[in-house]
Amino acid sequence: MKKKLNIKSNILKVKKPLVKKITRNNLEEKVLQQTDELRIREGQLKQGANRERLSANREKLGADREKIAEEQIHIQNKAMEATSDGIFIIDTQRPNFPIVYANPSFFALTGYSKSEIIGKSYFQIYGADRNLRVSQEIEQTLRQGKSFHGEMLNFRKNGKKYWCLLRIAPIRNATGVVTHFVGTKTDTTLMKQRDLEIEEQREELLHVTRVGKLAEFVSSLAHEISQPLTAILSYAQAAQRLLKEKDPQVREILQYIINDDQRAAEVIRRLRSLLKKNKPSFETLDINEVTNDTVTLIMAHITAKNKVIKLDLGSNLPLIQGDRIQLQQVLLNLISNSLEAMEENPASHNLFVKTSLKNDTILVQVKDSGCGIPQENMKKLFAHFFTSKPDGLGMGLSISRSIVEAHDGHLEASNNPKGGATFYFTIPVNRKND
Amino acid sequence: MSVKIFIVDDDESVCRAIKTLLMTYDFDVRTFNSAQSFFDAISPDQPGCLLLDIHMSGPDGWEVQKQIFASGSTRPVIFISAEKKDDATDRALKAGAVGFLQKPVNGQTLVDLINTTSKS
Repeated sequence: MKKKLNIKSNILKVKKPLVKKITRNNLEEKVLQQTDELRIREGQLKQGANRERLSANREKLGADREKIAEEQIHIQNKAMEATSDGIFIIDTQRPNFPIVYANPSFFALTGYSKSEIIGKSYFQIYGADRNLRVSQEIEQTLRQGKSFHGEMLNFRKNGKKYWCLLRIAPIRNATGVVTHFVGTKTDTTLMKQRDLEIEEQREELLHVTRVGKLAEFVSSLAHEISQPLTAILSYAQAAQRLLKEKDPQVREILQYIINDDQRAAEVIRRLRSLLKKNKPSFETLDINEVTNDTVTLIMAHITAKNKVIKLDLGSNLPLIQGDRIQLQQVLLNLISNSLEAMEENPASHNLFVKTSLKNDTILVQVKDSGCGIPQENMKKLFAHFFTSKPDGLGMGLSISRSIVEAHDGHLEASNNPKGGATFYFTIPVNRKND
Repeated sequence: MSVKIFIVDDDESVCRAIKTLLMTYDFDVRTFNSAQSFFDAISPDQPGCLLLDIHMSGPDGWEVQKQIFASGSTRPVIFISAEKKDDATDRALKAGAVGFLQKPVNGQTLVDLINTTSKS
């Protein structure tokens, strides 16, 4: 303790003589010197303060930026969680391509829990139900660092099927190396179902049309064959009577002709009863609804042919009594014909379907910009077996006309002044609903 | 005097064959390939039984029968058609016809029906 005290006193001793040495003569000099020092010091201090302030500002800016970036990441995370598409991230730097992130929709879509997905190889998560060919294709694509795009049938964990649109895109680092993949799974089951339903309805209608055509075909054929059979029978019976008791051998031959004629007639009768047309079932219909339904069925076909259909459906049209399927058949037939007429002319795109009210009847017009109808064909257009198509049966328009006539309406055709043809039919309005 | 028969059918061969057959029964037969040619040639009061095809171009059998009935003629009409709908016979009788026969027509059946009309 004593030693320390000594040191302290020594210091004091040193300082004291310095102060004593200051004389009056150099006092001013000293003041000036110190003032300069102070000025320099002040300047230095000011600079230092500025620097500090600047760096403080910088720090604040950095913090703000960080905050914004954090918010952005937060929003992006929230968005990933909120979207109804299944999103997942695959780490490509590990050999088994594990999934390192998947959003809640992904779990909901696949039916697997987080622990069943995260950390597992992407190529293994779909289990035994997966389509081997498709999963192999995906694996090959991803291992090459390429993106994948495809629609496929998938299975949930519980085995339930769902249609899925899968898109997987590579994520690259600064040097361009693929480090991750981001995948999006969209559930397209509802869209697919709707597509399938439309396709089924179209097929059903085409089937009904084909059966209808067959029935009509057989009916016409039966009529055409019955005529000669009638003549043969009458001739044979006449010959038999003329021979009377003479020439029993020829009479016997004639009897065979008569028997076989009647056998042929019986075959036709049976065939006819087999294909007897179902009676149309009439109900109250909105023609615009029938038109829209039919157009929906043939829309894909129209688009595939690179044509455009334009609907001009009259508003507040009265209802009609009709057979929905049969009227759809007529419209489908007219629209298909128009499309075929337009096929030869790639410049013609537009097909118009118009519904309107005309003198107590609903008028439906199908107008095309196709090749039109040659004048010499106009009269035969609706006749059985008349066709201008190389593979046509010549039944479509004749059946359409008989359907429209069964609805107390008329089906006609005319050429448009500026090219193409218009087929139009009328159906009387449902007076009960007036 | 033999009974007069008129056949209206747009199929020429059918006309000729039925005519040939009926002539073996000693009927006096005339054939027409359209309703119009029949109306042009035969007046409503001229007696005779009409064998009428249903499916014809131009006015069909039902239409022709309606015209005959509307004109007040009492001419017996027998429909002959390849197609026989379930209600065809009823419809024929309601329209004032004598009967409905499906092609190919058996000769004896046809003659029996003609004979009942000419007796009544």
